Amino acid sequence: MNENPMLPMLGKLVEVRDLAVEIKLFRVEMLNGGGKAFQSFQPGQFAFISAFGLGEAPFGIANATGRGPTIDFAIARLGSVTTGLHELGEGDIVGLRGPMGNWFPMKKFKGKNLIVLGGGIGGAPLRPVIQHVLDHRSDYGNLTILWAARHPSLLVFTDEYDEWRAAPNTALYLTVDSPDEKWDQNVGLITQLLEKVSPPMENTVTITCGPPIMIHFVTKMLQEKMRFAPKNNYVTLEARMHCGMGKCGRCNLGEKLVCVDGPVFNMEEVGGLLETFM
Amino acid sequence: MYEPRIIAFLCSWCSYTGADTAGIARMKSPANIRAVRVPCSGRVSPELIMRAFDQGADGVLVLGCHIGECHYDTGNHRAAKRIPILRSLLTFVGLEPERLRLDWVSASEGERFSKIANEFTATVRTLGPVHWRISPDKQQAVSHMLAVTREAIPYPDTDCGAKTDAIRQKARELLASNQVSCVIGYELNRRGRTRPVFVYTPEETSRLVWNPDCTNNLTNYLPAKLRLVKGKEPAKQIAVVVKPCDSKAINVMVAENQYRRDQVYALGVACEGIRDLDGNLQIRCITCQEAVPIVCDTLISGTTSSFIPRLSSYAREEIAELQNAAPTERLEFWLSQFDRCIRCYACRQACPMCNCPACLYERDDSTFIGLGIGLNEKRTFHLGRAYHLAGRCVGCNECERACPMNIPIGLLNQKLAEEIEAAFDHRAGLTIAPSPIVTILSGEYKEG
Amino acid sequence: MSKSNPDKKRWLISQAELEAWLDGIANARTLIAPRKVSGLLLYRPVAKSNEIAWQGHTPESPQAVRPVLSVKEIFFPPTERLFTIHKSGQEIRLEETYPDWETVVFGVRPCDARGVKLLDALFLDTNPIDSFYARRRGNTTLIGLACTEMGPTCFCTSVGGSLDDAHDMDIMLYEKDGNYLAEAVTEKGRFLIPGGEWKETNASPQQSPESGQFPVPKKEKWVERFNDEYWMQISERCLSCRVCAFVCPTCRCFAVRDEMVKPGEFERIRCWDACAGENYRRVAGGHQPRAEKGERLRNRFFCKFYYYPEQYGLGAASACTGCGRCIEFCPVGVDITEVLMDLEKPA
Repeated sequence: MNENPMLPMLGKLVEVRDLAVEIKLFRVEMLNGGGKAFQSFQPGQFAFISAFGLGEAPFGIANATGRGPTIDFAIARLGSVTTGLHELGEGDIVGLRGPMGNWFPMKKFKGKNLIVLGGGIGGAPLRPVIQHVLDHRSDYGNLTILWAARHPSLLVFTDEYDEWRAAPNTALYLTVDSPDEKWDQNVGLITQLLEKVSPPMENTVTITCGPPIMIHFVTKMLQEKMRFAPKNNYVTLEARMHCGMGKCGRCNLGEKLVCVDGPVFNMEEVGGLLETFM
Repeated sequence: MYEPRIIAFLCSWCSYTGADTAGIARMKSPANIRAVRVPCSGRVSPELIMRAFDQGADGVLVLGCHIGECHYDTGNHRAAKRIPILRSLLTFVGLEPERLRLDWVSASEGERFSKIANEFTATVRTLGPVHWRISPDKQQAVSHMLAVTREAIPYPDTDCGAKTDAIRQKARELLASNQVSCVIGYELNRRGRTRPVFVYTPEETSRLVWNPDCTNNLTNYLPAKLRLVKGKEPAKQIAVVVKPCDSKAINVMVAENQYRRDQVYALGVACEGIRDLDGNLQIRCITCQEAVPIVCDTLISGTTSSFIPRLSSYAREEIAELQNAAPTERLEFWLSQFDRCIRCYACRQACPMCNCPACLYERDDSTFIGLGIGLNEKRTFHLGRAYHLAGRCVGCNECERACPMNIPIGLLNQKLAEEIEAAFDHRAGLTIAPSPIVTILSGEYKEG
Repeated sequence: MSKSNPDKKRWLISQAELEAWLDGIANARTLIAPRKVSGLLLYRPVAKSNEIAWQGHTPESPQAVRPVLSVKEIFFPPTERLFTIHKSGQEIRLEETYPDWETVVFGVRPCDARGVKLLDALFLDTNPIDSFYARRRGNTTLIGLACTEMGPTCFCTSVGGSLDDAHDMDIMLYEKDGNYLAEAVTEKGRFLIPGGEWKETNASPQQSPESGQFPVPKKEKWVERFNDEYWMQISERCLSCRVCAFVCPTCRCFAVRDEMVKPGEFERIRCWDACAGENYRRVAGGHQPRAEKGERLRNRFFCKFYYYPEQYGLGAASACTGCGRCIEFCPVGVDITEVLMDLEKPA
């Protein structure tokens, strides 16, 4: 008999803490040896988390393999499942299915400069990229992180900025749409920040994640103003999914399924799709 | 002796305190009652009551402040109007009416609380366990037919050429003079099937037709095209071909501020009735009393057919028959009907009144109804929808016509229309007026 | 062209023999067959063969040759429990339950059987295998009944099917002069046939008529027309209900959520969903990538003729079986054959 692919493995929440307003970090440790599937996962992959009694939803894995025994997720409280998750605390049990989807081709990126553009909670699936680069620092060129949010209170992973800044050949730039009194960094959209920083684009790949509108305008700027090749512009897309295995039919962008053909695409691939992600 | 489970929704300002008063005075209240504190009896939506019964409550008691004493002025007016309507709906579908009670208890009336609680518990105890709840292992309800057999009324041959010509001509005028941006009417597709069409230029008006198969209620398309947005100019006028029943929907939508009357140009068609796919007069037309649209800017008349005889109390016979049946039989009948439902929402989407941007029964975070396509969910959906249409349904019966599973949804709507007419002397759509159950009480209100 | 195999072993049986055989099956297993339920033809369990509706009639089409819902509902039911969740305090225990009955479906039309085959491509032939579908599929035998004529909305012959296509059945029956020709298509089917009792025959079924065929646009054509205004125009009348998908033998989108059974006990269920619904693609943040109903309706047509075949390796075949249900039951007369013909015309 075939195994039920919709049956989650159980994991225990070993840490739950606030990352930003209405955004929490969840660290899951697998139970009953269920960790096998999760022993190695790649930056950019995602997993379904069950809040038992409510349902499950897909989230990008927010840490890199090798950074401790946990699987991390940064989750904003938006719908019923995430609200349920936000009510859980340390010691509570969640379900996990995954890891799913493709990933950022980190091997291919070796020797190249990386520009990482994260907007709001879209920073979550980019954290493993940053961690991976920091853990294999000599394999990669310059790492430029452009990190944006609507408001300073919505910036994620703030306690890790020092680590990122301290790493060799690594620069972090922050921007918010609307600052508060204490804010002393950039103000404005991430596209404005990108223009201002204007990192050299030779031998470079960009990795973007954020709301669709941000991906759209970042891509536009890279392509039109900076003459950056779409094939070197990687994005990770979000879509509503109910299975993660190409069955439920929900996440298609034209003939591609975000869950199995994605969620990581380069913009050349995205441009070749029939449907837009907007 | 059976000990019933009773859910009591108690208004926080009066009745909940009243229950406290009873407790402090050491008056006896039955242990069967589980109190749910609500801010106001007006907050007790039908979904909460149905949910209580779905989850196995044998009785539901709703207590609020006396009329005139509501903390929110008129919150209890809504309860006073809505809960009796809900009770008649639930009764029609097989619940004993005694299982749902609405009453008023003030903060000082501990004794009254105790009396009502004891009375109600005794009544429900006598009734025994409720049959309403569907056990999870119940897969399929048995097919159950009404004894009333509908005698088909064949639709005679009709020449609608004159009406078609008149509609085309008027549509051409309206579009050519730029008075309207679009004419919504009917066309024939290549199969010869009549369906809605949207005409934007005078040249295209030759697509428009009129025939006895013009069943769709085209006003259904108006809210999306005309919806009033704050700070924005209202959309340009749209002409729509309406039958008498359809036209009433315009009045209701205007009363509910979905669009303005002057945004709609009603091409009213004098109607002899519409036929079904078997070539017989549609059920909705049999009891229809209107030959001429109530909302009408131009009247299209002139058909050569003889007037079709209408039986004055046809569908009502079915309502009467159901009402004469025992509660368990009524429940079996309706479960066997709802059982066929596949939750495709065709009824809701075909309904000109169902225009909420997000349906309460489809929301991802809905706690009132599950996602499943099970008997319980289907019943809640249909009853909830019927209730939401109380005082608003204009009887176009497109819901029933659109249903691929032949569920007599229209019976629920018609039953509630009768109840609303009896209680409030209101018939939806005859004038620009909202449903009486969303307005406050008027005149003398007698308790009890 | 008939798609029946000329070398297959066949039996000639009378109506009485057929009924006796089906009665025997109903005694030992669950027999599902077209049955009249409140005036509708539906696949429902029958206890005896006399409950079977031999001639399908619905008010919508007097000549209807197939039930309102396809056999899809037997393998992919409107609601399926994936597992049960037991919750007490911080403890979570998951319990799996599987459907476990042997079923025989009688009266399956070729279009529906092909629909099952198309669903196999997704649920069985693409990893991971769907354990629920696999169970139900493995436990079910399909007895087909060839059509004698096309219904008013049928167009199976235009999308690669035929009235007597036996390929996707286990047993195929052909009506022949008041009797039936029976043919075992698979081993599973052969197992059900009472060897000695039935009379073998060399007769072959009549050739099925092929008329009213029209060309179906190729994939390139679909790609070409993706951004056409056409989709917005034809969808203007669309109500965004889900009838077309739910009556379709191959639409298989589903939604998953947990529902409470009682305090402490929940079940994770999956149930039918459809891309026409407004809610279908909205993400928690509110972003709605297919906000226009034209985009949603377009997705359904593209899924049938382009996306699904691409995604699940059907090659040039379409995921539409030509059963015509969506045409028959659309409340506003959206017609898939009209779309196919329009696409063939120059833009």
